[in-house]
Amino acid sequence: MKATKVFEARDHRWWILYDQEESRVIDSNVYVMESQGQAFLLDPGGFEIFPQVFAALVEAVPPASIQGAFVSHQDPDIASSLPLWHACNPKIQWHIPALWEGFIRHYGALEAPLQDIPDAGGNILIGGRRLEFIPAHYLHSSANFHVYDPEAKVLFSGDVGAALLPPGHGAWVDRRDADGKAFAAHIEKARYFHQRWMPSNRAKNDWIERVSKLEIDYLCPQHGAIYSGPQVQRFLDWFAALPVGSGIA
Amino acid sequence: MTPEQLIRQQQRVMEVVNASFRARQDIDRALRDIDRRALNAMVLVKKHGNALAGYGVVAQAFRERAALLRESASHLQENIAPLIEAQMRILQQQRLLQNFEQMTQSHGEALHGRCVGLKNTRQDFQKIITQEREDARRILRLLLEEVRILQEGVEEQEYVVTNGRIEAALVEGSGVPLMRVSRDMGEAVRIVARAVRDYRQQLERLQNESY
Repeated sequence: MKATKVFEARDHRWWILYDQEESRVIDSNVYVMESQGQAFLLDPGGFEIFPQVFAALVEAVPPASIQGAFVSHQDPDIASSLPLWHACNPKIQWHIPALWEGFIRHYGALEAPLQDIPDAGGNILIGGRRLEFIPAHYLHSSANFHVYDPEAKVLFSGDVGAALLPPGHGAWVDRRDADGKAFAAHIEKARYFHQRWMPSNRAKNDWIERVSKLEIDYLCPQHGAIYSGPQVQRFLDWFAALPVGSGIA
Repeated sequence: MTPEQLIRQQQRVMEVVNASFRARQDIDRALRDIDRRALNAMVLVKKHGNALAGYGVVAQAFRERAALLRESASHLQENIAPLIEAQMRILQQQRLLQNFEQMTQSHGEALHGRCVGLKNTRQDFQKIITQEREDARRILRLLLEEVRILQEGVEEQEYVVTNGRIEAALVEGSGVPLMRVSRDMGEAVRIVARAVRDYRQQLERLQNESY
């Protein structure tokens, strides 16, 4: 996996770890927010890709600087590496949806310090900077959160914005995309994922209404590539128009 | 390996991982500093024409050595990620093996008699761990060799700094602050030397304690 910077302003950085080498499990991105020497992991990934995520992380931050980690929902590609991270650094505080605590402990994390996020969401301070846990329930999991950094204008959007890309993919949806052609090509790789994994049009519309009030420069999904600048609004418009829940014919 | 040995080994690996990050940052920063100082010295020498030609040769050598050090340091980096990855694969497999050990503890060895597949799987995990350990040992040896090469490069750079001090002393009357320039260069090289030495000690401790 590779590590690249998403955002940087003085001692405030966001990193993406992307393009995993193991193709038998779904390709996942892991994000790291760093502020004043303290780091926060977002959706740290599955058990099978842990060694490569960890090696890539060391390109970005020292592991001892990780104060906390966020788990958007209960899926194995998000959180099954939890016991391995816990073995490496037992001080990491895990912020997880309250609804999933008893499920996530099944990954072998009986002793890990889990902090429940209530359904309404909440805030956390990392290195003096505030991160907001934004409710994204039913997108796709029944208790699901995203993370917003108001200073960096980064929205970590979990499975929303996800695309199924081939090995060797880049971290970004092509940023030299004045005419929107790169976005149009990319979004076709996101269509099935959203139609089939997202269950509720009502939840989708509720989320779009909520995040439309945020200033977002970078929309960072857990699979695929980052939307930046005008692509963010393009994505929100595309998602608004897309009927989801296609599993029910 | 006992659970206590496992925990100690894991702690040692994490110390090396964190030390790798610090060493890389310190070395990168100091090498950039060395290059900048060498370039400044060359500009200073050029301004004064032939009078400081001797020091110009030293400054040029200093800069060339700095480029070689950067090259050596980049090889060091190439082996850090595979070492970390190998160590984390060992952790991963040990975690799986641990589950089997716990099961055996609670049900007794008789369980293996009743379930042959379980015994075979446990042996497979042990085999993988042995292979991964061998792989990690090999990478660690490579890494230590890279560190040795880097240390040799630093020693050569220290020699160039000494030459710089001699040249600076010879032209002390020129009014150009070459002694200070040499002192600053020496300090930058010392930072690299210290970072590399500390890192080598961490790696050697891992090598001695783990296997």
